[in-house]
Amino acid sequence: MPSPAGRLLAALAWLALLAVAGWWLAQHLSFSTDLRRFLPDPRTPEQTLLIEELGEGPGSRLLLVALSGDDAETLAAQSQAMQATLSADARFAFVANGGSLGLDAIPERLRPYRYLLSPTLDAQPLDVDYLREELQARVQDLGSPAADLVEPLLPSDPTLETLRLAEGWLPPHAPQTRHDAWFDAAGRQALLLAETRAPGFDPDGQRQAVDAIRAAFEAARGDGASQLEISGPGAFSVEIGGRTEREARWIGTVDTVGLILLLLVAYRSWRIPLLGVLPLASAGLAGLAVVALLFGDRVHGITIAFGFTLIGVVQDYPIHFFSHQHAGLSPWRNVRALWPTLATGVAATCIAYVTFLFSGVDGLRQLAVFTIVALATAALCTRYLLPGLVDPAPRDPAASPRLLALWRAIERLPRPRGSLLVLALAALAVVALRPGDFWQNDLSKLTPVPAPLLQRDAQLRAELGAPDVRYVLALTAPDAQAALAGSEGLRPALDALVARGAIDGYDMAARYLPSAATQRARQQQLPAGDALRTMLDAALADSPFRADAFEDFVADVARARTALPLQPRDLDGTPLATSVSGLLVGGDGHATALVSLSGLEDVGAVAQAASAHGARLLDLKQASESLVADYRARILASLAVAALLLVATVWIALRTPRRVLRVLLPMALTTLLILAVLRGFGVELTLFHLVSLILAAGLGLDYALFFEHAGDSRDDQLRTLHAVIVCSLMTLLVFSLLALSSIPVLRAIGSTVALGVLLNFVLSLLIARAPAARVLPMGGTTA
Amino acid sequence: MGLLAIAPSAWAQAALDSDALLRALARPAPAATAFVEVRDSPMLKAPLRVSGEYRRPDATTLVREVRAPYAETTTLRGGEAIIARAGRAPRTLALSRVPELAALQSSFGALLAGDADALRAHYRIDAQGTRERWTMQLVPRDARLAAKLRGIVLHGDGDDLRCIETTPAKGEVQRTLMGATAQAVGAGADIAALCRGTAG
Repeated sequence: MPSPAGRLLAALAWLALLAVAGWWLAQHLSFSTDLRRFLPDPRTPEQTLLIEELGEGPGSRLLLVALSGDDAETLAAQSQAMQATLSADARFAFVANGGSLGLDAIPERLRPYRYLLSPTLDAQPLDVDYLREELQARVQDLGSPAADLVEPLLPSDPTLETLRLAEGWLPPHAPQTRHDAWFDAAGRQALLLAETRAPGFDPDGQRQAVDAIRAAFEAARGDGASQLEISGPGAFSVEIGGRTEREARWIGTVDTVGLILLLLVAYRSWRIPLLGVLPLASAGLAGLAVVALLFGDRVHGITIAFGFTLIGVVQDYPIHFFSHQHAGLSPWRNVRALWPTLATGVAATCIAYVTFLFSGVDGLRQLAVFTIVALATAALCTRYLLPGLVDPAPRDPAASPRLLALWRAIERLPRPRGSLLVLALAALAVVALRPGDFWQNDLSKLTPVPAPLLQRDAQLRAELGAPDVRYVLALTAPDAQAALAGSEGLRPALDALVARGAIDGYDMAARYLPSAATQRARQQQLPAGDALRTMLDAALADSPFRADAFEDFVADVARARTALPLQPRDLDGTPLATSVSGLLVGGDGHATALVSLSGLEDVGAVAQAASAHGARLLDLKQASESLVADYRARILASLAVAALLLVATVWIALRTPRRVLRVLLPMALTTLLILAVLRGFGVELTLFHLVSLILAAGLGLDYALFFEHAGDSRDDQLRTLHAVIVCSLMTLLVFSLLALSSIPVLRAIGSTVALGVLLNFVLSLLIARAPAARVLPMGGTTA
Repeated sequence: MGLLAIAPSAWAQAALDSDALLRALARPAPAATAFVEVRDSPMLKAPLRVSGEYRRPDATTLVREVRAPYAETTTLRGGEAIIARAGRAPRTLALSRVPELAALQSSFGALLAGDADALRAHYRIDAQGTRERWTMQLVPRDARLAAKLRGIVLHGDGDDLRCIETTPAKGEVQRTLMGATAQAVGAGADIAALCRGTAG
């Protein structure tokens, strides 16, 4: 046995080694924040689309900005200033605020393309009669109060095709414009829309974008009283990131101080907190290292967050060991005596997690690997390293008179049987009979975003004129051009639906960017230079316009005739790019043209019209719900297998049915009671509740195993009681603090696990504690 | 006779009260007045002369009806402009999208309605001259409008508005002759002089 100084040195060396390993891992580990890793593989086209949209889609890159708190004119001026600043910022693909919307949508370089993009000339050839009629209308425009608006356009565009295009592109329900800026319906908030170049789930990129918006706002506001609001997926991830960091900091600090105090009070030794942290830290680092090795840069942030929550249970292993250590007992003997019970708990839990490997969800597989490696590492550290480091003769918990008094009180407690059955039946009744949905199927509820923020987001989205979010038409083709052409083919049927009132309107990429074939057909219709000049001369002869007024127009038409058809990539950097890329989704070897619908009245008619033209009506709500249900089904299937494996493991370890029942009953009953409490409060269960239930069950199994095999002597039973009390207090502390978080997900996990710890402790005590008969041969090894 | 000749000018010596002037210019609905407008552009062979009638059929509506050289009716009501041209379906525009039309309503419309408050809300008003020959200058308060419109000058005699002179931020001054002046104008007349009341 080494000297106390040698033991301390060894412990510090271990800690230093962990610090180095942790530093090295931190340098080399990169996390994925793509939520899709935590979703099951899509099986239907609807699910595929949903998953594609969730990730890098333009919807996820949109930030909604609202300015309020000042008069409309001031807000509009600030909106203009911000728009000007942010448009010049390379981090944004575009920033729109309604200011002179329309013409700006068509950058100068694309204006000659107007005759290829606009449908006007499909029905109306560009001939003398048309020109004459248009020129007469332009005379009237010049005589109108709005003459200044159109006059600059006329030399190159006497038919005002540019305005017609811009009008055609206006969103059907665009927000109102005041002082040249978008405003909400009440006129109190100026609205802007910014599309970041960084994907929605790139937290750094989104943070930079949000910071840039804030800076632009501060500069535009000056000393004003207005306020800024930013919404959208990117803003949420920044907000959640910030909140998590702040809360993690205070929760972590309180946790650390609380745990150290608890250990100091429980063991009256300053070395114990140091030794207690070694298995947990080793477990976490080992888990991270193996996950990083197996999954590379696909390691998900959620894996790590959930993983560390789940392995909190390993903190219990050294506690059991410490509580049983007393003078006269070699630490190695101590750990050998504890090992069967400890190993049963670890093995049962690990085997349960193995089922997650077959869940078909990458994130869950990572979680399983992380947890199994970590649990095993902590157990092995406790078994093979810790005994060499502890003080072999610490203060014996069994010598505490207060603990003895508590133990006597517990001994007098009844062993409930019938009352437990009643409790179980009551819980079952609540679970089964309480009205309301059992499961939360809404995918958006999986986000950690607080509900008020989501509501605000929905409000802003509605103000900015978003289409139906549930139904969308999809047409899949081998490439983008085929998809564009296919969706153009849908238009007559869609127009008929609008006429019949089945829908109010629709939007598609081809509305902004016709297929190359359509553009070529329109080029064919444009007159050649000489022919155009002859027609123009004829039309101008008897008009008030000068003969040479429209030379720019002749040049523009000549360019339009010979230009290469406009492709989706040519729109990059223009406001049109967003409209098009949101409705034309690319994949590997295929492209999907989406048709968004507004004012959908007759779902059946739209579905029928779609299928008649090679498209499909997708129900995204149904797809998302089926995805969540699919997901849950996989987790539940894993859990069912896990439960069976767990029972089998415990059975093999304990052998007698009575003991198996005593160990498993508290855990099963606790799970049922938690479910009843959650249901009783009307909580719809999510993935997070399931994870929490698994953790609580793992804790309960450990408590019951230790209570059940508390040792043959009264002193050993006292030591076990001491250990389980310290374990459960620690876990209770950590998860009660988590329950105070402002982030709904953390709150759900915290409250569920804290409740589980309490119930498991009480029920293990009542059900699983060693029968009094076995305590009779007293005395024994007490020092 | 001598007394009669002296009286108006003596009255005019007093400071020109813009409120009194605005009250005198108000024309309760329904009301109508003829106009002639001239517009020049480098694209045109000759300045375009448009004539017709401004009408206020009710207190909230302003109609600009062009009769020559073409027919066009613009109806401004409740934040919207409806433009109807011969042989075409009427077009509806939000006034917020066409500041020039919004300015027409907030200046000329408010003037005819006698709504001094609305006028002052949008413009700084400065009246000069005598009661029998006056000018009233309107300068937009709104920075957005000011970016498009430098100012409007109204010219009048007694209770009659003779001409509206509009100066855009960029471009030529546009003049609209009103009422009796508009009806009397002949071909080739010096519009600028008629507007200022300096012609003959």
